[in-house]
Amino acid sequence: MIVLQNAIDAISLGAVYALAALGIGLIFSIMRLINFAHGELIMMGGFTLYALAGQPYLVMGLAAVIIVAILALGMERIAFRPLRKASPATLLIASFAVSYLVQHIVLMVFGSRPMGVDFLAQLGESIEFGGLRVPLLQLAAIIITLILLTALALFFRHSAMGVQMRAAAEDFTMARLVGVRANRVIAAAFAISGVLASIVSLYLVAQTGTVSYKMGVNMVLIAFVASVIGGMGSLIGAALGGFLVGIVSVSLQAYLPVDLRPYRDAFVFLAFIAFLLWRPQGLMTRRADMERV
Amino acid sequence: MLKVDNLQVSYGNIAALRGISIDVAAGEIVAVIGPNGAGKSTLLLTLAGVVKAQRGEIRFDGRPILGLAPEKLAAMRMSLVPEGRHIFGSLTVAENIALGATTRRDRAEIAADTERALQMFPILRDRYRGRAGKLSGGEQQMLAIARALMSRPKLLLLDEPSLGLAPLVVKQVYDAIFELKQHGLTVLIVEQSVNRALTAADRTYVMNSGAIAMSGRSADLHGTAAFDAAYFGMAGGVAL
Repeated sequence: MIVLQNAIDAISLGAVYALAALGIGLIFSIMRLINFAHGELIMMGGFTLYALAGQPYLVMGLAAVIIVAILALGMERIAFRPLRKASPATLLIASFAVSYLVQHIVLMVFGSRPMGVDFLAQLGESIEFGGLRVPLLQLAAIIITLILLTALALFFRHSAMGVQMRAAAEDFTMARLVGVRANRVIAAAFAISGVLASIVSLYLVAQTGTVSYKMGVNMVLIAFVASVIGGMGSLIGAALGGFLVGIVSVSLQAYLPVDLRPYRDAFVFLAFIAFLLWRPQGLMTRRADMERV
Repeated sequence: MLKVDNLQVSYGNIAALRGISIDVAAGEIVAVIGPNGAGKSTLLLTLAGVVKAQRGEIRFDGRPILGLAPEKLAAMRMSLVPEGRHIFGSLTVAENIALGATTRRDRAEIAADTERALQMFPILRDRYRGRAGKLSGGEQQMLAIARALMSRPKLLLLDEPSLGLAPLVVKQVYDAIFELKQHGLTVLIVEQSVNRALTAADRTYVMNSGAIAMSGRSADLHGTAAFDAAYFGMAGGVAL
């Protein structure tokens, strides 16, 4: 029974990590940008909820999704489009710059103390079936992630824009040569990435009941690790990597000797260093990258 | 159809194209041949908007196109089949073909053109739902051409379509090119295989070290000492 309980914890945490990792992985697959400012998109979702506190939850949630998607588009337009032809290293540094800039603007305006927000606090309650206690928030995280993953899979497989994005991810220049509009696919990737970030903010705020200027930092680190574990550039890999990181974290939390548990994260990262030594390309490898090697 | 005037391209300090001027009339097959490193691929990539030129002018269908993005040129119905084919290996054959029609909106006509492409290359029909990366080199070349044709190009740019293919497959590819010519397609083709190019093309340009060394009707060029000199870059010509 304990095992089942832990499994539910692991899958729900993994689901949230998977969404965050997909947000990072999607942008990387198309433009070789590791967007550390993704964490600030998550944070801005939180502050949208804070600004609209007291409104109906549906209004708060929808506003967060829409505003973060718009901010993601703005981020691309202002910070990353001028660097389109720059090297991945330059893009990475630029994303750090955006990340710090946004964090510190929020710090100046709102200060450093976490601020309380009531958003779906009822999800903290649990439902019981057959001796299992499942917090509603975990259930919601799993269900929403499954819906989003299914929607994304359908989008990439069946919509014209989805197919164009896959083509652009594999060979950007060739995609442009067949007429795929570079600005449009990149904007679409950022919009989707923004939506994914906003869902993560909804989860974090519902879980902790607070927002702070640093709330996205930890999540983006984990998402980055998950997308590397999954294999940079592979979307299925990013999602799997997210679940894997969640499962490993929860398992270590549950099964490490009690006096070692405070150091759980050190063991998590140790496990992934070992994993990457064994399989540096990650779980999934893009065929194109293999061929280049 | 296409008029290139004094086109100059350099990569850093290295001049790749030193003032190229060529023209291609509607309905013609024109070949550009030359040894490795002559700048042939650079020429096609510049025409298609991938490589930026420092100087010169390109007119396509009467309009200046220098500096336009590749996707703009694709929408103007210029289509490049690059060297190495560059099919989307992780996508299906069907998706690759559909992507060729990215700039079009006429669904019914796209369906008809897809059917035509599959009739031209029946092997693609057998592999239609499979991943393009699983195709053989020759099949990938056919897919790359089929994808390029899906835009209903006015001008088809072909870079080394015979490279790395078995002779029988090369013949199939060239048969397809001839068939397209019957339908009025204009083709600019880059080749290292001199005989292939000279038999296929109405006119041929010989390129060497980033410049046009010679040009003329293909039938007139073949086997002349001047041609050998232009191609190999030395007087008198050397039989290799």
